[in-house]
Amino acid sequence: MLVAWRYRDRNSLIQSFDPRAWIIFFTCFLASTLLFWDVRYLLFFFLLALLTVFASRIGWHEMKRAWLFIGGFILFFSFLTFLTGRGGMELYTQEHLIARLQAGFKIFGWQPTLNITIERTFYALSMLVRVFSIASMTILIPYSLNPALYGITFKGLGLPDKIAYGMDLTMRFIPTFGRDFTLTMDAQRARGYEIEKLKGGLFAQVRKLAPLIVPVTIHAIAGSEDIIDAMDLRAFGVGKRTWLQQLTYRRRDRILIAAGIAMIMISAALSLLGLGVFWVPAHSFPVM
Amino acid sequence: MTNPPPLVVENLTFRYRSRTEPSIENINLTVQAGEILLVAGASGCGKTTLMRCINGLIPRSYKGELSGRVLINGEDIAPLPLVKISQMVGTVLQDPERQILGTRVLAEVAFGLENLGLEREEILSRAYQAMDFLGISDLAERETFNLSGGEKQKVALAGVLAMHPSVLVLDEPLASLDPASAQDALALVRRLADGGMAVLMVEHRVEDVLAIRPGRVMYMENGKARYLGAISGLEQVVDYHEVKLPAEVIVRMARKDPPPAELDVLPASKQGGREALVVFEDVEFGYDRDREVLHGINLTLNRGDVVAILGPNGAGKTTLVKHAIGLLKPKGGRVLVEGRDTHYISVAQVASTLGYVFQSPSHMLFAPTVEEELAFGPTNLGHPADEIALEVREAIEIVNLVGREKDPPLALSFGQQKRVSIASILAMRSRILVMDEPTAGQDYQNYRNFMDSILQLPSFEAILFITHDIDLAVMYANRVLIVNGGRVICDGTPEETLADLPRLEQNRLVPTSLLQLNLKWLSKTGRFQRAERLAHYI
Repeated sequence: MLVAWRYRDRNSLIQSFDPRAWIIFFTCFLASTLLFWDVRYLLFFFLLALLTVFASRIGWHEMKRAWLFIGGFILFFSFLTFLTGRGGMELYTQEHLIARLQAGFKIFGWQPTLNITIERTFYALSMLVRVFSIASMTILIPYSLNPALYGITFKGLGLPDKIAYGMDLTMRFIPTFGRDFTLTMDAQRARGYEIEKLKGGLFAQVRKLAPLIVPVTIHAIAGSEDIIDAMDLRAFGVGKRTWLQQLTYRRRDRILIAAGIAMIMISAALSLLGLGVFWVPAHSFPVM
Repeated sequence: MTNPPPLVVENLTFRYRSRTEPSIENINLTVQAGEILLVAGASGCGKTTLMRCINGLIPRSYKGELSGRVLINGEDIAPLPLVKISQMVGTVLQDPERQILGTRVLAEVAFGLENLGLEREEILSRAYQAMDFLGISDLAERETFNLSGGEKQKVALAGVLAMHPSVLVLDEPLASLDPASAQDALALVRRLADGGMAVLMVEHRVEDVLAIRPGRVMYMENGKARYLGAISGLEQVVDYHEVKLPAEVIVRMARKDPPPAELDVLPASKQGGREALVVFEDVEFGYDRDREVLHGINLTLNRGDVVAILGPNGAGKTTLVKHAIGLLKPKGGRVLVEGRDTHYISVAQVASTLGYVFQSPSHMLFAPTVEEELAFGPTNLGHPADEIALEVREAIEIVNLVGREKDPPLALSFGQQKRVSIASILAMRSRILVMDEPTAGQDYQNYRNFMDSILQLPSFEAILFITHDIDLAVMYANRVLIVNGGRVICDGTPEETLADLPRLEQNRLVPTSLLQLNLKWLSKTGRFQRAERLAHYI
């Protein structure tokens, strides 16, 4: 059986809008954010995301795990970017050195060196702000959108019946997968299995994950077969479907959609004018 | 002119594409309007295949070789599309969780009607009509995954009834219900039949179904109908070891046979004193901050205890026993396993002394063969290889899976998988065994056999199991706990705890014929007996 995300009615800003309007706005926000590399422009999106988070009325204890997981992930990769400058070469051609940290030892004649350049620093910072803005807005969705409205939301966005209901099931499949994973983990731990004690090479380690991966995968497949049977037995997909739930746009929803569209148009215009590209503050550091 | 019977099955044979033998062979039956046909038989006898032929999933979703005919209201369903059949035949699966798609109850009940593209007003009126009939209209806005087992069953049934079928097919509808919910469900089925519906009900719990006077019974074995006829004739053809008949009937039949040997329960506990193995001290627990599930549980599991935990769906039984192996840690109080606080030891450490059989086998089976599946636990615990081979062989024998050693567990039937999951814990040779619903989905003969064997195993010193089946407590337990609302309501010998009938009722337990017969003869027997032994006292 599919379980739903931990949604509840919070009387929050997001929830005051029609879910379709919010999805449209969210999509405009994503697209706009991705147009910029200039950290000053990105700060606007970051602030907008933060405001939405604070207005979401979701308690920290509810989303703590999601934030720690995604936040940790983003910080880790931003730090890697900072160390290596990976990916940034497409945006700048010259680097200006702020400091060079050299290890006091050599490994096989190679001396570990860290070049801190202003470009790498700002590239990592822009990356951090950009991804954090997107992540913040995305984390809120499962907590804020009513699972009972998933299907009609996608239908209302113009998708055909089958795909809209499929999206509904997919959205709920993710937390169901999480639940099955926990149950399997518990069942195997009760048989003395300890994931912490995985040993051996990569191949051996993957093999030793079989007790987790196999039941979860099989369960997912069997579960989807059940769903297909249950849908077949209730005449799904034979013709045009009536959706019992109804959604209606109100004034504020239209304003939100207009704001979203304005945001993406302005962003696109700025971008076409060559604004918002990668930026570093004026400086006098030497070329590396 | 009279109407044709709602359901007729003629010479039906089906073989799944992946199998060499047919799963059902030459089945013939008729169900009249207003009639309930009970289909009984051991797991793997072909009941599910028969159901799939009737509701049209065979051959549309499950491919294979089909011959014979299924007629609904006189019309051969072979050329019909599923959408047409689904309006004539309603199916409720064994596990309502496998059937419920909607997030909210109303959406679930309305799902089929939405797919038919009916007007909104008609959808609402038919959905509420079905919910009113089942008494669940107040659940309309609830989330389906938060419902209790009994409620889920009714929601699944409402979703089917809203389609106005003339034939209702029920697959073991009682399997996951507490006794009172099972009784409610049965009463509803009777009402539906009285309203003119033809009902085909597959169920192991023959005794319970007899209470609603099914018209006839079909007993299936290896895909064939061994008996089809009046209920009274069933006892002539089946052995009382195979099907759970009412206790009075077993007593009557078993008189002819010599009394069965008494079980040698927990031989390992016979030497030494009543050592406390697991101790719960003021245990409190909740999954969320704002909702406590267990309240101040104090409990000691001693050497020699065979404990049955009874209680309604959602009472906190599973939450309670998950604390015993440290999968859940108490938010208040502590749990000691052999004197060690579960807060400070890992689950794997507890697993060496306490074996835990989960409710659902599909969450743990992964190995390519049954043998390897069973060796997984003992290997993790570091048993020597030659001992593991022995432990695996013994466990396979106990659960009656000899000959299946090399089969992939995932290709077995649900009942067989459940036995593999029990065997995989038995092979670990722990001192304490904890089982969550060990007999769910098992036929009577199989579960009697493995329960008999498990209780007599030389390794266990204490056994604890959760069950909805009061008879399991009557036959096997020497101690019964009734748990409700996250508290232990009572704790004592089965003779003490189960004699208080009003208390049973308060906790959604319904006295069975075996319990009533035992209570009647208690002064003579001194303690609860299984029906075959009772036969020789009366």
